[in-house]
Amino acid sequence: MKYAFYPGCVSKGGCPELYPAVLKVADKLGLELVEMEDAGCTGAGILSREVSDPINARTFAKAEAMGLPIMTICSTCQGVMTQANHRLKDDEYRQMINREYLSEEGLEYKGTTDVRHMLWAIVEDYGLDKLRDLVVRPLNGLPVAQFYGCYLKRPPELMVPKEFAKTRKTALEDVIEALGGVAVKSSGRGKCCGFPILTSNEENSLSMCGDHTLDAKAKGAVAMVTPCPLCHLELDGKQADAAAHKGQEINIPVFHLPQLVGLAMGFSPKEMNLQRHLVSTKPIEQRLGVEVKA
Amino acid sequence: MPQHDVIVIGGGFAGLRAALEARASSADVAVLSKVHPMRSHSSGAHSGVNAALKSGDSWQDHAKDTIEAGAYLCDQKAVEVLCKNASEDVVALERMGVIFNRDSDGRIDVMPFAGSSHPRTCYAGDSAGHVILQVLYEQVLRSQIPTYDEWFVSSILVEDGMCKGVVARELKTGQNHAFYAKAVILATGGLGRVYSPSTCSLTGTADGPALAYRAGAPLVDMEMVQYHPTTLSDRGILITEAARGEGGRLVNKDGDRFMAASDAGAMEMAARDVCSRAVHAEIQEGRGENGNVYLDLRHLDKGRISDRLRETLWLLEDLEDLDPSKDLIPVRPAMHRPIGGVRVDTFGATGLPGLYAAGECASTGAHGANRLGGNSLLDCVVFGRRAGEAAARHSRGATWHPPQESLAIAETAGFNEIASRAPGKDTPGIIRRELGSLMNRKVGILRDEAGLKDAASVLRNLKERHSRLGLRDKDAAYNTDIISAAELGNMLDVAEIIIAAALARRESRGCHYRTDFPQRDDVKWLRRSVATRSTRGPIINSAPVVVTQWNPAERNPAR
Amino acid sequence: MEVKIAIKRSNAQTNGKAISQAYSIEMDGNRTLLDGLIRIREEQDPTLAFRGSCGTGFCGDCTMTVNGKGAVACRTKLGKALKKADDGIIEVGPLKLAKVAKDLMYDAENFHWQKFKAVEPWVDPVAPPAKGENVVANDEVQDLRAVMSCTQCGLCDQGCTVLVVDKTFLGPAALTKAYRAVFDSRDSRTAERLQKLSMRRGMWDCTHCFEASEHCPKRIEPTDRIFALHDKAIKAEAGPPKVVHHYKSFAASVKAHGWLDEARLAVETEGFTNVRGLMKLLPFAVKAGIKGKHPLPYMLHKKRPGAEHIKRIFEKWEDNGK
Repeated sequence: MKYAFYPGCVSKGGCPELYPAVLKVADKLGLELVEMEDAGCTGAGILSREVSDPINARTFAKAEAMGLPIMTICSTCQGVMTQANHRLKDDEYRQMINREYLSEEGLEYKGTTDVRHMLWAIVEDYGLDKLRDLVVRPLNGLPVAQFYGCYLKRPPELMVPKEFAKTRKTALEDVIEALGGVAVKSSGRGKCCGFPILTSNEENSLSMCGDHTLDAKAKGAVAMVTPCPLCHLELDGKQADAAAHKGQEINIPVFHLPQLVGLAMGFSPKEMNLQRHLVSTKPIEQRLGVEVKA
Repeated sequence: MPQHDVIVIGGGFAGLRAALEARASSADVAVLSKVHPMRSHSSGAHSGVNAALKSGDSWQDHAKDTIEAGAYLCDQKAVEVLCKNASEDVVALERMGVIFNRDSDGRIDVMPFAGSSHPRTCYAGDSAGHVILQVLYEQVLRSQIPTYDEWFVSSILVEDGMCKGVVARELKTGQNHAFYAKAVILATGGLGRVYSPSTCSLTGTADGPALAYRAGAPLVDMEMVQYHPTTLSDRGILITEAARGEGGRLVNKDGDRFMAASDAGAMEMAARDVCSRAVHAEIQEGRGENGNVYLDLRHLDKGRISDRLRETLWLLEDLEDLDPSKDLIPVRPAMHRPIGGVRVDTFGATGLPGLYAAGECASTGAHGANRLGGNSLLDCVVFGRRAGEAAARHSRGATWHPPQESLAIAETAGFNEIASRAPGKDTPGIIRRELGSLMNRKVGILRDEAGLKDAASVLRNLKERHSRLGLRDKDAAYNTDIISAAELGNMLDVAEIIIAAALARRESRGCHYRTDFPQRDDVKWLRRSVATRSTRGPIINSAPVVVTQWNPAERNPAR
Repeated sequence: MEVKIAIKRSNAQTNGKAISQAYSIEMDGNRTLLDGLIRIREEQDPTLAFRGSCGTGFCGDCTMTVNGKGAVACRTKLGKALKKADDGIIEVGPLKLAKVAKDLMYDAENFHWQKFKAVEPWVDPVAPPAKGENVVANDEVQDLRAVMSCTQCGLCDQGCTVLVVDKTFLGPAALTKAYRAVFDSRDSRTAERLQKLSMRRGMWDCTHCFEASEHCPKRIEPTDRIFALHDKAIKAEAGPPKVVHHYKSFAASVKAHGWLDEARLAVETEGFTNVRGLMKLLPFAVKAGIKGKHPLPYMLHKKRPGAEHIKRIFEKWEDNGK
């Protein structure tokens, strides 16, 4: 399985721990990643679609020329790209974008590129059975709350269309269980983490972060896992602030999806860059019997 | 005790339009409505509003179509006011912010409607009502007109032969309050709940006509009850006339376009009364299926339909899992709109000083014996505006004294009396269901003397049961039981008048079809029926029809 | 068929506490929940309080919670609701985010109408034409009509993730209503509106998580409408300074490098001269810096290979906008 790999900005920026973890895990899974170094930001829902659609069309055209589907590792990248790709299915619109924006570079997008999140790639392309075979350090019933990130779930007709309902509705739960963990259904699992309004309304953002993490704990989870680095920035990065805002201790470690997979496949915490998290993952490491250096 | 120059009862088209005009005339005006204005039945009007905006069309053509559709029972002076003002009032709506569909020049577009000689109906997809209601409400907010939402008016205060305000109950608290006003405008909308099924919202309970009638103002043309030819199966949900305007066909179970027999020229574009009777006959004679005929849109352009009938398509998808590009739509006639109402002149004056009425609860006589599609919204904006203006003028000129406090106290006590009765087996709803079924069966598309007499006798019994009705809900706050009981009282009063007027008119004309008198009789019945209250029930008199320039003639059924 | 419905009821006597009451009616599953509730009120229990008006999905009055999810009762078929119900009983309650008034009725004034009024949704016309109607393109009319097909049913607000934590947020319904005035070419107050809508609790508090679009029964796409408001406000530089800096810096970074420079974004969002804001960034930066969870300082930020092409796309877009 070979993909045009779109790492996005955050896996190398705000969450630098993610990018190397992805490469290691993908390698172990045998997912061949050809990184798209020459691809622009998706716009992340911040740039106007008037400009982000052409930028994304450019990315799609390049992958199309490579003859590969795109793999993302961020719910936001995935969501924005899926939506843009959907709009670009309209012939008239796509041709306008090609004409006005891409032709100068000699590119043309024909509308055939598939964009897939790593989570979907694992569940749909690689397969849970094969994943199970690779588990050498099972999670041993570890209760983990899944947190998808809103962009991986919505709009549902695009993100979880009927033909993928079986695999995508519970993709994260299924991965947790394949790794030997117990998926904990928290009420925030498909909701927005609060990150997008950190700038405009920090108070509300922290309330959301606090509610989601506290609810996961209340439901019995000892850790959370997310396929979205923006959610990670919020749930891990702002957790201490959220705890202060809520006046309650939280302290629940949050894993990037590939980190949790990697840990179960035998990678060391260091290899998964767990030391870079703001909320310590040590209790989980201990619980899984990972050797912890003093 | 709230007091305003002008109080408008009802927050639909006519009420909001009246309030805006009263405000523009510098009156202190308030709107009192039993539902939030945005929940008014006006939101369910799909079709559009008629105005001869386009070259080749004229207000005279519009008037002639209106009068022919009305089977020459129209007050022609009122028709002239309606049609002459149409263009200006529709443009005024546009300037307030209504988003009518546009033609390629960016001007208001028009579509063909049944009974109209030219395409004349200005529309906004298939949700003109919802759009216009929103814009009027927006403007009410902009004008800072206070609205009392979810207040139910139980009576009109009349003293010294003048209307001096109303008594109303706040749903939220259960408190009754007197509202004093120099002028009151009734704009309560329809009475569809008297019939079952009906295309009318749950709010259409004949409140305005009943309030006016009890206050001593006459009602007119109450026997004229329009059935809409295409409502969805047995649900009483309207499938807009625009579906036929766009080229939709009516077919029976064998796929035949049966309208050819009634009017080979106009076919599905025949006037509503003609069309409804033809559909009814087709079903009665066994050429329907499960009580329905079919509306066929399968041959129409899919893209065009998905824009023009956007809301209708969703409705059909949600409720019937139907896709009109592939499936036939099961339809049958159902009660749609009263043509009669509180008798008013073209300025909404009822004859009782200080009391005005506009919109569906009122009748200027402009619609005669059958209303042309697209004239209803027009009626609300033209006559609503004029009523607002006239009421404001009246409030400036009146030497006015507040009524004796005892008046409101007595009215409130009368309303609350029901709360003191012990509950029995009956509920307001049980009686209403019997009423609706009765009216549909005996006072519907086809009527005869035996059936009407039967109806009158059953109705007496229902009224008697209503007078003994006790309430189960003892709460003050949000007591919908007491409101339902009061609404039922309104409906029973008005149903009695409908039956009496239908018995009196021994001919067939427009919406009123007597199988025992199937012919139109201009010699005896070119007259409007006027109902007034007496201790022994309604008295039906008649009044001449005002004719200006269109002499009664054979009706072209297409119009 | 027999339809069992359990209704969450509360009134003055229950002190706001809801008790579940079960009803059973005989009704065709093709009928709607509103039909069912009317039947219950008419035949069995006239004390049951709920709102409902048009019965066809046009007035928005009968919104409630059905089997745990927001729904418009007159567009909810009994048969379908029964299929989704646990134990074969349809669970019905009032809207969850609104204050309950009685039974299925809620405080609509605060939930819908105060916010509806707050966005001043009316058109304040520019000088009208001397004669006749305004000339408007049909495309604009169709777009506005889609927005105006909103019935204020409140399902988007019910699904909103921000309203859960902050009831004072304007919410998607009111913001969608605001779109109607902002994008109406006949209106004269666009800039002022964008300013007002940019106040705290306004459009910038939306997380654009697409819950609103998912829950809208009329497919109005409220989330997209809010995106459009954002775009318009940024173009007009109408947002709060911090937000405008954030957006501009984001765009500038992508334009210059092809991708996002987060360190630069953080600094520019606060504003180079906003010392207090910059100080606030420090603890996170230091903490994250020690942990190694930190973006590269922006001085070291590398251009992506295709950056000049992305810059061209930006330039063309900016030209198109002129």
